[in-house]
Amino acid sequence: MNDEAPRRVHPGTVVIGLVKSAPSTLFALPAMLAFGGELGIGLVLLLTLAGVAALTFFAWLSWWQLRYRLTADAFLIESGVLHRSRRSIPLERVQDVSIEQKPLARLLGLALVRIETGGGDKDEATLDSVTLAEARRLRLALRRGPAVAAGEAGAAPESAADAGRALFAMPLARVLLYGLFNFSLVWLAAIFALLQTVDDVLKFDWQALIGIAGREVRSHLTVTAGLSVLAVALVLGVAAGLLRTLAREYGFRLDAREGRFRRVRGLLTRSEVVIVRARVQLALIRRGAISGRLGWRSLDFQTLGGSDDRSGRQEMAPFAREAEIERVIDAAGLPRFEADALIPVSRGHIVRAALRHGLPVVLAFAIGGAFLPWLWLGLALVPIPVGVALLQRRRHRYGLRDTSVQVTRGVLSQREWIVPYDAIQTVSVRRSWLQRRLGLATVAIDTAGARGFHRPDIADVAAPIAAELAPALLARALA
Amino acid sequence: MRLSIVPLQPLEPGQLNVLRARGAVMALGLLVPAAVVEIALADRLPVHGVLAGVALLLGIWLAIVAPPRRWRHWGYAFTGSELHVAHGWWTQVHTIVPVVRVQHIDVAQGPLERGFGVARLMLHTAGTDQTVVALPGITRATAEEIRDAIRARIGSAA
Repeated sequence: MNDEAPRRVHPGTVVIGLVKSAPSTLFALPAMLAFGGELGIGLVLLLTLAGVAALTFFAWLSWWQLRYRLTADAFLIESGVLHRSRRSIPLERVQDVSIEQKPLARLLGLALVRIETGGGDKDEATLDSVTLAEARRLRLALRRGPAVAAGEAGAAPESAADAGRALFAMPLARVLLYGLFNFSLVWLAAIFALLQTVDDVLKFDWQALIGIAGREVRSHLTVTAGLSVLAVALVLGVAAGLLRTLAREYGFRLDAREGRFRRVRGLLTRSEVVIVRARVQLALIRRGAISGRLGWRSLDFQTLGGSDDRSGRQEMAPFAREAEIERVIDAAGLPRFEADALIPVSRGHIVRAALRHGLPVVLAFAIGGAFLPWLWLGLALVPIPVGVALLQRRRHRYGLRDTSVQVTRGVLSQREWIVPYDAIQTVSVRRSWLQRRLGLATVAIDTAGARGFHRPDIADVAAPIAAELAPALLARALA
Repeated sequence: MRLSIVPLQPLEPGQLNVLRARGAVMALGLLVPAAVVEIALADRLPVHGVLAGVALLLGIWLAIVAPPRRWRHWGYAFTGSELHVAHGWWTQVHTIVPVVRVQHIDVAQGPLERGFGVARLMLHTAGTDQTVVALPGITRATAEEIRDAIRARIGSAA
């Protein structure tokens, strides 16, 4: 009796899919128009209409073919037009259900439902998209077993019952302050790249325009003009950072309920992500070059199966004070970071860091100097990388604490890892040619679900220490 | 100079032949095109024999010099609770895989390896950079012995 009839996702999905594919369709238009001269405008229009009709039909067909059903003990998703697939997720395996609303979906009151299972990352099931009420009903039903599925629970009592203990939230002022530190000129580059692309499509003569602009600029070039261009670039950079941060972090809120965290954030795309505590592998606290000096930190959790966040880790608190970070770490059952108890790596790290950062500078200016002698002056910059190398050893510390191995690294921006011993999968000791000459070794700690950069490696400890460290880490991991 | 974490065993001598054979195949892959280019474009090349000469040197390196060096730097030890695998000539890597972290195990044998009587043990872990830790160049019997020992351990732990 618990079995319900198969359902389809909301028909609005077809519309969203079409709107989403519209840009790529539009890009085909200039090409069609280029042929238009030969084929006649009527035929082109006909072809375009036929194309849109075909797209609509296929979008509708795949919508029609996608069906989901909640049975007494499993959640079934059938999909595919030619290649049919049928996925069955046992209810006992469902860890939690995340809901995400992209801007278009929000307009139609729809939401994407992602069913998190305990397993890997690839085969997690998603429903794109159902109404928000249906999403909430599914979440309730999937999480609390099939009995609830029968009664159509309203949204209001459900969300009230759902709200756990508020752990961390960012009011608007905090989000805006965070945005100021997210100053980025990358977005300006992106805008120019976009212009470049559009340029290719429109066959716009940029070269000539830049030539004219260049002549104009050269004829009027003054210090004031240069400074105002710089000022405009800075303002744009700040504005871009602010807007991007506002769009992503608006209304950031992290709640904790037994065994799981829920994070809600986003202005246009509203996402609600569930992080299961048992899947947390390690914590990474980061401090920016400037914001870190002012006492701001960010906290990421690396989880089994990774994350869709930019860093590849779950962003638990992107811009927070020490005490707030510690509250989240405590809630996750992780030990706190003990900066004072850590010891630095070998002095040899200075040599390696100096070579790694200094050598490219030396080579670049030495080779450059062979052609342009004034570039020899650049060699005066060499003390900077060497100075950074000196600091690098002071800032690269590690320690085997009670329940976790802790590593910190970084001079300008700093990273602090808390890796519970249970999370260690394998340990490797690596020695490059230079490290062997210096009697050093790197102890690499491999964990599950790592993405992108920033691994908790302990670089350049003395070789005999590394030979003891690796087995000691594993002994604790298996204790 | 090697790290003394545990005493390591060398690989089977058969693996040396596997490495040589692979090196020879790569060397041929360089030499044949180089020779073809030298002959086909004989009139248009400014200096004769440079391309073929470089290819020959690289080939000698790949097929004759490098294999024994690489083979010598491989080593392994199975302690019952951990598998140690060391390899690398320029950058030396010593990886320790705790048996209880092994997700599943493969014993693989390619045609070359079968010809020289060696097998490859592959340990899959949940890790990221070391998802698969491969130990090549052991006898099939040893590989299966280690596999069965690990399977027994994982089985009893679960």
